Amino acid sequence: MKFAKPLIITLVLSAIAGSALADSVLSVHAPYVRLMPPGIKTTGSFMLIKNDGDDDRRLVRADSPAARIVELHTHLNENGVMKMRAVPHIEVKSHSQTELKPGSFHVMLIDLTAPLNEGDKVPITLEFDDGSTIELAAPVKKPHAAMPMPHR
Amino acid sequence: MSRQRYWIAAGICLSMLLVWLAFFWEPDIGTPTGHPGPGTLRPAGQPMGGDFTLDSPDGKLALQDYRGKVVLLYFGYTFCPDVCPTSLSALGQAFTALTPEELAQVQGVFVSVDPERDTQEVLSVYAPFFHPRIVGATGTPARVAEVARRYGVSYMKQKPVDDRPYTVDHSSFTYLIDREGRLAALLPHGAPVADIVLQIRRLLGDKGKPS
Ligand SMILES: [Cu+2]
Repeated sequence: MKFAKPLIITLVLSAIAGSALADSVLSVHAPYVRLMPPGIKTTGSFMLIKNDGDDDRRLVRADSPAARIVELHTHLNENGVMKMRAVPHIEVKSHSQTELKPGSFHVMLIDLTAPLNEGDKVPITLEFDDGSTIELAAPVKKPHAAMPMPHR
Repeated sequence: MSRQRYWIAAGICLSMLLVWLAFFWEPDIGTPTGHPGPGTLRPAGQPMGGDFTLDSPDGKLALQDYRGKVVLLYFGYTFCPDVCPTSLSALGQAFTALTPEELAQVQGVFVSVDPERDTQEVLSVYAPFFHPRIVGATGTPARVAEVARRYGVSYMKQKPVDDRPYTVDHSSFTYLIDREGRLAALLPHGAPVADIVLQIRRLLGDKGKPS
């Protein structure tokens, strides 16, 4: 039962992307692409990557037809100054998970090939250091929808 | 803060000041008129704040025109893929959580530190996307630098890699300005929406009187 949910999500995502399940020990959860104001041609994609395998894995590449350039990025917060930098890989330790989230790791989409609308599914391919790939379709979401709601 | 970090921070501040003096100091621009209110959250040695005038899609934007309102000020740039949208979304969500009466007494201002790319046309779409109560503003590089200096904002255009658009490292604080135009508090990047709401209500409750 413990593995059923991530497996189903992975299967569904793979099915959406029209591809077979590449590696069952790695799974991606709740991916999304941030909806940006009209005219803005850069955005980020966020998700949770889970590694149920016994080996540490590294996400080494991401690709998408939705953008001219796709990169792995992180943010460094140096005394309140946020510095965005490209990273060669994003580590996903064995039996652990890595969250790609605002202010931290993200898949950066530079120079979108077409404007994105809320609800669009953005195909993204993730490639890991063992050569395995995961294809997913990340829905475009408003920043609001992706953040916790305030207490009233 | 460790001793090493303190010295690094001090060094950065000093070099920024020197850079600013070298490039942007315009003695006739006037001195900061803002003064810290008593009992604020602002630690010593932090930014002064104060009035400024920039250009917005609706024409001149002067902080002093918002007297009587609580102003939330954020510095960033529209090519910013993550940090700025996160902060502005939080601001928008905080505004959404306010009552209509409260919202009428609040204004969000997004100051672009990238006037080279952030034209008024871009700003006119970008800022209200997060909340209609947020207005975009920018100005000449010298004027933006002057406003940034008053608020202790640092930003540095990064050398672009190959044909990628350049990015700008920048401080990501949200500045709360009380009804009298005084810098009252700084919220760090990633401050929960509930905290922003709390700070706004605190300043609205002050009715602009010195506490
Ligand atoms: Cu990025």
